[in-house]
Amino acid sequence: MSITARTEAPVEQRPRHRSRATLATGFVILIGVLAVVCFFSITMGARGVGLSTIWKAFTDYDPSNASETVIRELRVPRTLIGIFAGAALGLSGAILQGVTRNPLADPGIMGINAGAATSIVFAIMVLGTQSTSTYVWFAFLGAGVATVTVYGIASFGREGATPVKLALAGAAVTAILSSITSAIVMTNVSALNELRFWQVGSLAGRYFPVFWQTLPFLVIGIVLALGTGRALNGLALGEDLALALGQRVRLTRVVMFVTVAILCGAATSACGPIVFVGLVVPHLARMICGPDYRWILSYSLLLTPVVVLVADIIGRVIISPGELQVGVVLGVIGAPAFILLVRYRNLAEL
Amino acid sequence: MKRLLLVSVSAALFLAGCGSSSDDDSADAKGGEAWSYTSGDGKTYDADSTPTRIIAHGPAAAALISFGIKPIAIYSDGPVDQDKSLKDLDLSGIEILSETYGQIDAEKAAGLKPDLIVASYWPLEKAYSGFEAGVEDSAQKVKGLADVVGPAEGDSVVTKIEGYEELAQSLGADTTGEKIAADKATFQTAVERFRTTVASKEGLTSLAVSPAEDLLYVAVPSEASELSDFTQWGLDIMTPDSPDPDFAYWENLSWENADKYQPDFVLMDDRDAANSLEVAQGQPTWQNIKAVGAGAVVPWPAYWMNTYRDYTDQLDQLSTAIEKIDPNLT
Amino acid sequence: MAATLDVPVVRSGRKQRRRRATVVTTVLAVVAVCLFILTMMVGSYYVSPIDVVTSVLHLRDDPTTDFIVRDLRLPTAAAALAVGIALGISGIVFQKLLGNPLASPDFVGVSSGASLFAVSAIVIFNGSSTAISGSALVGALLSALLIYLLAWRDGISGYRFILIGIAVSEFMLSIVGYVISRAELYEAREAMTWLVGTVGQAGAGELRTLLVALVVIIPIALVLERPLRTLELGDDTAKALGSRVELNRLALIALSIILIGFATAVAGPIMFVALIAGPISQRLTGPSGGIMAAGMVGAIIVLGADLVAQQVLPTALPTGVVTGIVGAPYLIWLLATVNREGRGG
Repeated sequence: MSITARTEAPVEQRPRHRSRATLATGFVILIGVLAVVCFFSITMGARGVGLSTIWKAFTDYDPSNASETVIRELRVPRTLIGIFAGAALGLSGAILQGVTRNPLADPGIMGINAGAATSIVFAIMVLGTQSTSTYVWFAFLGAGVATVTVYGIASFGREGATPVKLALAGAAVTAILSSITSAIVMTNVSALNELRFWQVGSLAGRYFPVFWQTLPFLVIGIVLALGTGRALNGLALGEDLALALGQRVRLTRVVMFVTVAILCGAATSACGPIVFVGLVVPHLARMICGPDYRWILSYSLLLTPVVVLVADIIGRVIISPGELQVGVVLGVIGAPAFILLVRYRNLAEL
Repeated sequence: MKRLLLVSVSAALFLAGCGSSSDDDSADAKGGEAWSYTSGDGKTYDADSTPTRIIAHGPAAAALISFGIKPIAIYSDGPVDQDKSLKDLDLSGIEILSETYGQIDAEKAAGLKPDLIVASYWPLEKAYSGFEAGVEDSAQKVKGLADVVGPAEGDSVVTKIEGYEELAQSLGADTTGEKIAADKATFQTAVERFRTTVASKEGLTSLAVSPAEDLLYVAVPSEASELSDFTQWGLDIMTPDSPDPDFAYWENLSWENADKYQPDFVLMDDRDAANSLEVAQGQPTWQNIKAVGAGAVVPWPAYWMNTYRDYTDQLDQLSTAIEKIDPNLT
Repeated sequence: MAATLDVPVVRSGRKQRRRRATVVTTVLAVVAVCLFILTMMVGSYYVSPIDVVTSVLHLRDDPTTDFIVRDLRLPTAAAALAVGIALGISGIVFQKLLGNPLASPDFVGVSSGASLFAVSAIVIFNGSSTAISGSALVGALLSALLIYLLAWRDGISGYRFILIGIAVSEFMLSIVGYVISRAELYEAREAMTWLVGTVGQAGAGELRTLLVALVVIIPIALVLERPLRTLELGDDTAKALGSRVELNRLALIALSIILIGFATAVAGPIMFVALIAGPISQRLTGPSGGIMAAGMVGAIIVLGADLVAQQVLPTALPTGVVTGIVGAPYLIWLLATVNREGRGG
């Protein structure tokens, strides 16, 4: 372990000139994959439901039929939330990695999960227990405030928000918030119970009310995110070059962080903290598409929901009739996936 | 100099390592008769003299107070003003050692120099209330201050209350007085009313549940004292077929399968009633239980009753509610 | 040590600095011992200092005071002292070896790795206390290895190491959260402490392991203090001065990881102590200051934090809550002083 000066070794990558046609076809195939996964998400679960019943649930709904209720009111919102939240996390991860030029950037680093957790327990302490949909607002607010704080702290000083300063600010803010959360939770049992339920990312117990609440933010965030592709490509060249090319670096950075705050805030408030996907999937997308962020974002948009839903399905099936939360499954798969990823790819741009 | 530092630090660490070998409790012989009681765990506990400084778990304290024995301190699983079993009791002069499950202020407890701790015994977990696996270490240490005794849970609330009566008698209380006799009499009347009400509804079935955000918990009647009593008095409570092997008081049902059991009415855990109801109503499949649709949800006094008076009140409420139930719903 | 200019001025300067270092270290040790006793004096019942000392040394026989001091307060105080020393030493060794004030084992994920393995040993395998300490050690080793492998490319550049470390730390703690939620730890509060760290729940077996490790390792660390200072001058200089670079470095890292592994097995991942103990002790003792000073500062921080955590609110808080709130502003201050390349990168 020799501590030497940072070398500016060029990154060795095979030139990835995927033609636009190939990538577009791949995108269409991904849509198909997502559709198949959705199908499985709706057909599998703790309760066995036949295909004809599923069909009937959509065409001739009878609310008194328990199986049909399960399909329409439990599995459909669960699948929808999985899609949108997954997309949000994947896009946020890609944007964060691009704007901070830290291949290990993950929304959790920005203190988002800590912020959401703190505001949830704070809400319980002040207002008493509420329904899940009330917490969504608080979680969203907390996540947003945390992101803004982290970014704000990191941008003090001449260089603005460099990767190191962002990571440090994120760690500091997360530490303070975690301490506050622990303090509240140790003195308030209902806060503890609610936090315990929320703390593992899960799609269970999230129904249409939560979906409708978070949908507007998710849609806005996704639209904003998809538009940042070109700016991200510019930033990837390095700030000075980007500035020279006429890009408004400061403005784009702010927009990107706001987008991340909205997306992650909404996703985390809906399902709780789901780690790993925001980090790993953009890398997968990059492996497939190459360095053009417009494609990376598009692929992340579809790839992440696939991963999230597959993990959710596995969780529903693997210890039936019980359930394993999606956050747990992703944690177990994600850790080795992350290590493999780092081993076989050069971590560019640090 | 460094060596001196080394020595002094080692000394401090050695001091720290001078473990915690607790001394034997030196029994204060206060004079008086010897005391003996067969507790819920099957063992008999003796003392040279009748214990007078008693620490009790909340519900156990309620029972003791109803028989004339006042503990010097209690520990409760939740805020004392929200504890159903401690409602309407005069707790003046009683120290409160805890208002959170899993915690007991061990220092305060030690300072009180107790000679007996009273709590009910859970045969499934082989532990007394407040000392189950999972409570904080400092709470577990309180066990070392004095013997822990109390009747067993699970079979019947009536035998539990009788166990407390026996304990109170051994501690010197006179349980033959008028008030206690009157309490017993009204209780018997309430039991009779319950029996006849249930008998009048042929084919009545029920299910005891506790709704949570992610799961619906279905109670195993034989592990809940009051449910065992109800079963003995003629009420048919459905027994879940696959209880959680690690915590066999309940079966954990996914909300997708909420309609697995269809009773004529639902007994809902009343320990946090408003919240439980809100949680349940937020679940789309709650309505798939026919009894819910028919408004047949009745509060179930879960695990907390320890006195004749509380039991009388609850039985009367149950009887009134059951009178309105349609036994042919399912 | 190498041949240096044997000029009287230089010699007396060195002597002065060393004296300052020794004096400060002694003062710190005294403060630590005082805090140690103070922790056992306060609580629901006040116990006088004399009573505390005589009770601990088994010189008296008052069952109530003995129960309170020996069974209730001593384990926590001892854990705080031991964990503080371990974290302080571990932190300063890491920081000096890697030449970066941010490269502290708790900050870069070593203690979160230890925490993950320890809590898995408890929850999944129902381990004995030796198993728990052992798993924590394994976890610490594996995460250190992981970060090293991930960060290494022709050497370790200052801030890539930090970034990877923070990411790894976050992941480990997330998995800890998952393990806990799966657990049959009916008392969720106890589970929470594995995320935040507290000396109040120290298991007796794990504490004993840590104490034994400290007694064995501190002398070794003191012996290695000189080689450590040599290493700070850079590999080439150190080799030229005759120091066995690789061996010393390996020994120091191993000792640092063992300490933090066992400390985490006792108290969970108490953040920031390892990070700030070193810099604070350096500031107090000057550059001649050593490992013991950092250990003492660590002990003072943990004892102080525990005192605050226990007494400030009616319910006892975990120690990590206080160190978190205290350490974060330090981090933010570091933010102001770190340049884009990262210090020592």
